[in-house]
Amino acid sequence: MELLKRILYILFYPGLLYCFVGGLVLAGIDRKLLARMQKRVGPPIWQPFYDFFKLLGKETIVPRNAAKRAFLAAPVIGLISLITVSLFIPVFKFSPFSTYADLIVVIYLLTIPAVALIVGGSASGSPYAGVGISREMVAIISYELPMVISLLAIAKKVGLELNNGIMTFSLSQIVEYQAQNGPLFTKLSMIPAFIAMLLVIPCKVGSLPFDIAEAEIEICEGPLVEYSGAPLAIFKLNHAIKMLVMTSLFVTLFLSGSGTGILAVDAILQFILSIVVVFFSITILKAITARLRVEQTLRFYWTYPTALALLSLILVYFGL
Amino acid sequence: MLLMNYITCIILIVLGLYTIVTKKNAMKIVIGMGLLDYGINLLLISVGFKAGGTAPIFTISELDRTSFFVDPVPQALTLTSIVIGACVTALALALVIMINKHYGTLDTDKVRRLKG
Amino acid sequence: MTQHLPILAIITLFIGAFIVALIKEKNEVLRNTVVLIATFMSFIFTLMMYKPIIGEGNIITYWMGNWEPVQNWAIGIGLEVDQLSLFFGLFISLSIVLSALYSFKYIEKETGKDKYYVLFLMMSASVMGFIFTGDLFNMYVMIEIMTFASVALTAFRNNKPEAVEAGFKYIAIGSIGSSLILLATVIIYAQFHTLNLAQIAGELHNNYTITTLFALALMVVGYAVKVFAVPTHFVAPDAYMTAPSSISMLFSGIVNKAAVYGILRVLYVVYQSMNLPSVQFMLIFWGTVTMFIGVTMALAQHDFKRLLAFHSISQIGYVITGIGLATALGITGGLYHALNHTLFKGLLFLCAGAVYYATGTTDLDKLGGLAKRMPQTALIFIIGAFSISGIPPFNGFVSKWIIYQASYEAGYAPVTIIALIVSVMTLASFIKVAQSAFFGQLPKEFKNVEEVPLSMRVPMWIMAILCIVGGIFPSSFTKYLITPAANAVMNSAKYVEVMMGPEFASKFYNNLGNAPVIDYKLAGYWQPIAWLILFGILLLAFTLVALLGGFNPKHFSYSDEEDAKYDVFYSGESAEFSHVGGSDLFWGLKYQFRHYFDLMHKIHNGVVNDYALSVVLTAAVVLLYVFTFVR
Repeated sequence: MELLKRILYILFYPGLLYCFVGGLVLAGIDRKLLARMQKRVGPPIWQPFYDFFKLLGKETIVPRNAAKRAFLAAPVIGLISLITVSLFIPVFKFSPFSTYADLIVVIYLLTIPAVALIVGGSASGSPYAGVGISREMVAIISYELPMVISLLAIAKKVGLELNNGIMTFSLSQIVEYQAQNGPLFTKLSMIPAFIAMLLVIPCKVGSLPFDIAEAEIEICEGPLVEYSGAPLAIFKLNHAIKMLVMTSLFVTLFLSGSGTGILAVDAILQFILSIVVVFFSITILKAITARLRVEQTLRFYWTYPTALALLSLILVYFGL
Repeated sequence: MLLMNYITCIILIVLGLYTIVTKKNAMKIVIGMGLLDYGINLLLISVGFKAGGTAPIFTISELDRTSFFVDPVPQALTLTSIVIGACVTALALALVIMINKHYGTLDTDKVRRLKG
Repeated sequence: MTQHLPILAIITLFIGAFIVALIKEKNEVLRNTVVLIATFMSFIFTLMMYKPIIGEGNIITYWMGNWEPVQNWAIGIGLEVDQLSLFFGLFISLSIVLSALYSFKYIEKETGKDKYYVLFLMMSASVMGFIFTGDLFNMYVMIEIMTFASVALTAFRNNKPEAVEAGFKYIAIGSIGSSLILLATVIIYAQFHTLNLAQIAGELHNNYTITTLFALALMVVGYAVKVFAVPTHFVAPDAYMTAPSSISMLFSGIVNKAAVYGILRVLYVVYQSMNLPSVQFMLIFWGTVTMFIGVTMALAQHDFKRLLAFHSISQIGYVITGIGLATALGITGGLYHALNHTLFKGLLFLCAGAVYYATGTTDLDKLGGLAKRMPQTALIFIIGAFSISGIPPFNGFVSKWIIYQASYEAGYAPVTIIALIVSVMTLASFIKVAQSAFFGQLPKEFKNVEEVPLSMRVPMWIMAILCIVGGIFPSSFTKYLITPAANAVMNSAKYVEVMMGPEFASKFYNNLGNAPVIDYKLAGYWQPIAWLILFGILLLAFTLVALLGGFNPKHFSYSDEEDAKYDVFYSGESAEFSHVGGSDLFWGLKYQFRHYFDLMHKIHNGVVNDYALSVVLTAAVVLLYVFTFVR
């Protein structure tokens, strides 16, 4: 019985089906909002679904120079790890699988899709892919620092109260803390970390102004240049699911609470909050900025968001 | 008084280190390694000295309560250390010969293809 | 029989070296068999010691020549094997067996093979002797044999000028380090007139004088030269780069770990300085600087083995930081990372050796696209690269996570942050190597390379499987191997008691009780079995989709037909071969930090005098620090 319930969680909610539908809807809403902000009509909200099923029907061409198994396995590995991450993010007190230190595992599993993109691009054997993966790697180096510092700050703050002063990395404990004391972004010491994480999300998701790794105009989409057909569809799906997972994680960390207690209402509430976060962090920045070069990205992330996150860490140590 | 011994071995050790750090000829560096070893050996021997003691070489029947000899352990350790020093000097000199064969010079400013 | 096991484990290797020296070039098969039997027997003897030591918690002591202590004064050389020694001994003897297996085919084309095997067995025997001994001067002698054999093996390919140059630099700097260790031994002997570690530990208890502090500083610097910590690390990249790969694996796997074991024994068991915050701070600072400089230098290299050498230096920084934290969790993390480092770094060096065997070069600017011709080596390399970067579910993730947690809980938050950045940069440099050497386009001169022979692949597969197993079942590793070792470090009273007898130890120690229990509550980071089940179920779901025709398989035929559909897209330009790899990658990062990289390249200038100067300066700084702060 328990096993059957777990399989249902994996396949339907918050697993495969939810990620698939929710991720593509989120990507569609993002495109529609961007178009409206630029005074265009824009594609319908279901456009990513049409794109996905169209790509599934196209021919998959594997270049002669490519390492075939790595080339074909990379998107699938990325998808599997993204779905596994989504199973661990609690939705306002409902969490199908929760362990002691799931925040760390979530963060580490979130590097696997980026690494899968890198390995896939590398395996394709194209020089454009080579340039693209080195930029993607520098992007990973740049956003790891502020993200990790903000997470350390959150862990220490929640642990001070709920875990006898040692830091805690359990997402369910973070939700419990917010249920008792209000969402984390209302605390003074957490506001710099809030802004830092908000700035980290576009780089992780791969959208302007930090999408140097997949620049369509400069390097013909970088690591994805030799992909076509079903693997390309899965990479685009990964992109959409990453948006959903990152914003869900952000909502759980900063905007969570006790919720209503009914699973359906909680799920819809979390999804609406995800849309709001996508609007503020991804769409607005996409509409009003241009692309940064890779060394500018590194310099930006290692000065401003890092300073904000460090400020948050110091404030937490002072007990605010 | 062993003060002279201790001062000498400190001078030897410092001179050995100075030679390795400043001299540019590979042969002189090997001599510096040897100086360092000999200074430490001298220190080792001086540690075991007892004023008025004899050499610690006895057969079982001669050994009794009144025999007063210097500490035998450092003497054994020094023998080991001298042998090790000789082996290291031999290996280093073999390497110096090969360096001369390959590079044609013994100047350490020129023997540096591995850098960065 | 169990009494004699330690000495047997050491002597089989020495006797093997002697027999190989007698056989010389006459009979190759006999010589290879002797080497294999000697290393394998040593491993079996070490395994047989597992049950009495870790299973029942005893400590085996063995006085050579049966010279028992007289009236509580040790007069013979004693071997003492406790859980810490056995932990190191187990994975060291396993590395020796695997390296011997690998070197049979690897050095077939070289000349002077019998001398290689003699030196190989001498080096292995001296490391085993160093781990199992309980006598201070014996430690010095074993370190000297190890250095001597290592230098000779570095210069093994003496038809290459670089190898001879690296050997000369190694012996110049290594002998300074050994002399510092000998000087410290002499000073300790002058103070206590005994050489037995347990007796010295008893008499040093809470009793530091100026001479013992002087000896402590010199010992620490001497062992730091052997472990290649920054700033005494300058010789390491040269030596690792030019030695044959099976020997480089031993350098990074057992020579480094022997020096780490030396630091642990001297600082924590003999000097019992675990609760001194000044020593803790010194080790943590040293470890962090080593980590950071190691990995940043590695990003700028373009030779495969030199890059791996700088990563070795960086990972040893992790181990020293873990040990320096001196909490139970920190020491567990440090020891576990030492074990993992031997496994994955050995794997990576063997891959580099396979590439060299197949293509004849290790320059990343010239290689490319080898994954199509050597698929198994590429897969093993990816496993090793993900292990060293700390990606789940491999074993690097587990040990790095324990070190992060221990450092954050002990209050050293900057260390956690620096350790995380170093981990990400490690991933960056291995992606660079994967793109330059294994993926991409195959140059014309390597069109016919073949996969390496089976006897070279077997040790690589064994290590890769151990990496994966270590990542999936970390709790069994910690329960059976590492917790007993960490307990042995924290409970040095038992060490003294078993060696010298209970009346001696109780004169100096208040309680001969057990060590504090390690709290694993937060370190139960994740349940890997659950993850594996999840991955399995999802994989199953995808196989279902694929079987239903989700991925059309008939369009995968990429034959050698000249159809332009299967060419790589060049956006209309007429280049036929352009491979982005080697120095072309990470250009933006290197440009951003060009001042730092210029400074670092100028410091690593290859002149042996400057390297010796840095060792002397380190010794001076550590001496000043120890005299001022350690009470």
